[in-house]
Amino acid sequence: MEAIRQSVYILVIASVLGLGLNLVSPKRIDYVGEWRELQEGVGPIVPPSAEPGDPMFIAVDSALLDFNSRAALFVDAREPEEFECGTIPGAVNIPFDYLPEGDLGPYIDSALSHLPKGAKVITFCSGEECDLSLHLARNMQSLGYSNLAIFFGGAREWEKFELPMERRRQCDD
Amino acid sequence: MRRLIDNDLLTAATRLAVGGIFIYSAFHKIIDPGNFGRFIWNYHIAPGALINLAALILPWVELLVGLGLILGILYRGAALLVNGMTVVFIIALASAVVRGLNIDCGCFGDAESAREALVRDIGLLALTLQIWFSRSRRWLCTRR
Repeated sequence: MEAIRQSVYILVIASVLGLGLNLVSPKRIDYVGEWRELQEGVGPIVPPSAEPGDPMFIAVDSALLDFNSRAALFVDAREPEEFECGTIPGAVNIPFDYLPEGDLGPYIDSALSHLPKGAKVITFCSGEECDLSLHLARNMQSLGYSNLAIFFGGAREWEKFELPMERRRQCDD
Repeated sequence: MRRLIDNDLLTAATRLAVGGIFIYSAFHKIIDPGNFGRFIWNYHIAPGALINLAALILPWVELLVGLGLILGILYRGAALLVNGMTVVFIIALASAVVRGLNIDCGCFGDAESAREALVRDIGLLALTLQIWFSRSRRWLCTRR
């Protein structure tokens, strides 16, 4: 009985510490994650414009794993209006069509808050008809970002699986 | 056999070893709970909605149990939990091996296959059982 009572004490203290410190942790995660099987996933979508040496293309289930485990920064390459209408939660917007001429290094480094070049970054845009994510990833690759992936299914495939979206304003589809 | 199990020095050494393993194991999981959640998910045995809760709480249980064993605080509870967790780990690893899942066990942060971890945890269970059955109460902060 003593052992069970003490075990309950330990479990309660661990729960308070684990759940409480998560509130202030830089690696904070949601208390209830979005972990689930995406059995209808069709594998990575690779566009015809892909070339050897491009960053790897990942499927929605891989993107979801990295989303849940906070293993990657998601970068939305669409224009700001589309980004505000709905994007992957926590994504940063680097609108490829609006990038300035010339050296993109300072602009992208600043947009990513000077993220280490080896940190994992996943670019995406709307979906299969959009190749902004590919172009952005290629540019980032040339700037020295070494851990890049392209989620070519993009926001549309993410939404198709009813995964959480971050909407900064209401938009008509 | 009983005298060996109850030996003060052996029990203290086992407490130090097992407690140290659990504290070390907890460390990288507490720092990066999202990554630990990914390891739990890879086993495909826990409901998705509970993954993050387990990833947040389990490492702290490991840490407190490790400290409890070494310092002798809430000692019987720590001894019960360390056995319970080791059995659960063995079941999870064995199920992964049986199902042919080629996964990293997620035990210590370094890459380690489920099969290797299973063998290690069966050895670990021998130590945790010694702690449970030992009547030695030397070098504990509390008497119970």
